[in-house]
Amino acid sequence: MRYVKLPQENFEEFFNSLKNWGKVYAPVKKGNIYSFQHVEKPSEIAFDYTRTMLPPKKFFVRPKDEMLRLKGGKWEEIDGVEPVVLFGVHSCDIHGLEILDKVYLNEPVDPYYKKRRENSIIIGMSCMPDEYCFCKSLGTDFAMHGFDLFLHELPDGWLVRVGSVKGHEIAWENEELFEELTEEDMRNFREFEEKRANSFKKHLNKEGLEDMLDLAFNSPVWKKYEKICLGCGNCNMVCPTCRCYEVCDLWMNAYEAVRVRRYDSCFMETHGLVAGGHNFRPTRLDRFRHRYYCKSYFDPSAGFNCVGCGRCDEFCPAKIEHVKVLDEVREGLQ
Amino acid sequence: MTFQTHDARILEVKELTSREKLFTLRFVDPELNRSFKYKPGQFVIVDIRGFGEFPISLCSTPTREGYFQLCVRRVGRMTKYMHKLKEGDIVGIRGPYGNGFPMEKMEGSTLVLVAGGLGMAPLRSVLWYALDTGKYEKIYLFYGTKAYEDILFRDEVIHLLKHGEDMNCHVKLAYEVESPSCIYLEKGYSPRVCKGVVTDLFRGETFDVENTYALICGPPVMYKYVIKELLDRKLSPGRIYMTLERRMRCGVGKCGHCIVGTSTSIKYVCKDGPVFTYWDALSTRGLI
Ligand SMILES: Cc1cc2nc3c(=O)[nH]c(=O)nc-3n(C[C@H](O)[C@H](O)[C@H](O)COP(=O)(O)OP(=O)(O)OC[C@H]3O[C@@H](n4cnc5c(N)ncnc54)[C@H](O)[C@@H]3O)c2cc1C
Ligand code: SF4
Ligand code: SF4
Ligand code: FES
Repeated sequence: MRYVKLPQENFEEFFNSLKNWGKVYAPVKKGNIYSFQHVEKPSEIAFDYTRTMLPPKKFFVRPKDEMLRLKGGKWEEIDGVEPVVLFGVHSCDIHGLEILDKVYLNEPVDPYYKKRRENSIIIGMSCMPDEYCFCKSLGTDFAMHGFDLFLHELPDGWLVRVGSVKGHEIAWENEELFEELTEEDMRNFREFEEKRANSFKKHLNKEGLEDMLDLAFNSPVWKKYEKICLGCGNCNMVCPTCRCYEVCDLWMNAYEAVRVRRYDSCFMETHGLVAGGHNFRPTRLDRFRHRYYCKSYFDPSAGFNCVGCGRCDEFCPAKIEHVKVLDEVREGLQ
Repeated sequence: MTFQTHDARILEVKELTSREKLFTLRFVDPELNRSFKYKPGQFVIVDIRGFGEFPISLCSTPTREGYFQLCVRRVGRMTKYMHKLKEGDIVGIRGPYGNGFPMEKMEGSTLVLVAGGLGMAPLRSVLWYALDTGKYEKIYLFYGTKAYEDILFRDEVIHLLKHGEDMNCHVKLAYEVESPSCIYLEKGYSPRVCKGVVTDLFRGETFDVENTYALICGPPVMYKYVIKELLDRKLSPGRIYMTLERRMRCGVGKCGHCIVGTSTSIKYVCKDGPVFTYWDALSTRGLI
């Protein structure tokens, strides 16, 4: 890894240079929430944002996405991927993207996802946790890869980690904007990280989590939450690792149709429904539990299916807390 | 591309029952036709362009080249469109998907095929494969059906009831609704044809557990009961194969619909299956 310093006075020029690499999207404050939006100048960016409502997955797996277009009885691939620069992605979301990569880039490769991933630049940005974050417990609070550049806040600028070939190219092009790091910068960086590590209010006990949950299949805690949960599926939509999709064909006119996929949620009754009306997860209980099992599954090569971003808590209308549910299930076993 | 489907022409449509039709298809591209290889137990995604896609098991055998067959039950929107198609029409096909049955591993063994209703479709592929290759010690087919009119591939089943023994193929049939045709069959082939459910066909049967594999396909409720019969006869869980259904969209492990299991073991029915052993069911909750 290469480490350099970007002094604050050079930030604007650096930011403007990013436009050479693609359309720049960054967190923007809209009402009470943040979202990744197209930005033209640094003043639009909410540098102190906590989390966006939709994670960066929306650029790669879109909420509603045209896959194929039917013309003359034949499906045509829909082209036209534009290069994007995602500025200000937090570490948990970078981990989230890597989990999606495991799914979509594994054989057979998802062509849409791959093309968009290849045409994107990820610029990470350091953050301070709020009351919902628990990424530290999951080891997703620091990204070692999955980004091109990562910007860590310093009192007078940014400590930049260069994480990929593309990152090197960007740094190379902007060589005159960067400086070597001083001892003081390193000290500031360490101090920031220490302060951050101590600011987490929420901790997930992940010790033996998978086995614990498996044993607790009939826990009364699921039944308690089944009654509280509204089954709205918000938690799925906002989760950086949830990726279920539904497909349907839509007619544009008498001769043209499109095949569209859109986010689906395992909280929907139709998720496990098959022909003849048989449902493999017929009750809210089945569906609520399923989500926790899916999120807490541990893949040896990708970790848990949860990165601790806290979105599902913040955007749950029933105020259900992910960590609390898991803790209660664990307590119920003891 | 992963989600592109390939033109296949319908060569023949045959009405099997009032709900099921058998479609014989061939790829329009002769090269693709030659290179299309599949295993019994695999499935394809059928694409009725502009209307949607749905998964269907291959019910023909790869031993007979140049065409493939799909047995489609009319149950809803997509399958209704499919049933309207005629000889000469084109549909899109992608696949084959899934793992299929381990036919090579089972060579030299006795196969017990247990089919319930539409479960006959994927097992017909196994049956024909086994008969065509002649590489299996003995073949049993236990087939549970509602009524005479619902027997899928009735001609073939009755033919095997009559002549199967010569090919070491023992067919047994259980029906639930009485009718003159059933009674006629029962008279001719008792006790191999009887009134009851598919598990009734196990009565009096024992298997050489060292050399037998069971292959099951049927409605979700059937598995538990059939597996019990097999375990009672000391068949090891590793010799019990079953092919499962789930809602499927992508067929290749992306869309998440077919995920089963819990935090310790998650499986995609589309790519880890649809064929699983009973060991898998013991270690992955929700599989059956
Ligand atoms: C591996 C596999 C093999 C199958 N093999 C056969 C076969 O050989 N013969 C046969 O007749 N049927 C088979 N099926 C079931 C067949 O896929 C469904 O009957 C069909 O998708 C129903 O679609 P529909 O629109 O007519 O039904 P509807 O009831 O109208 O379905 C409503 C919606 O749910 C979807 N849906 C319903 N059931 C399923 C399902 N199981 N998988 C995916 N989507 C579903 C439909 O596409 C539709 O959009 C198989 C299913 C699987 C998973
Ligand atoms: S489960 Fe909740 S906390 Fe975990 S990654 Fe998804 S939205 Fe974030
Ligand atoms: S967001 Fe909350 S209420 Fe809605 S489905 Fe998820 S857990 Fe239930
Ligand atoms: S069918 Fe899409 S993941 Fe299995």
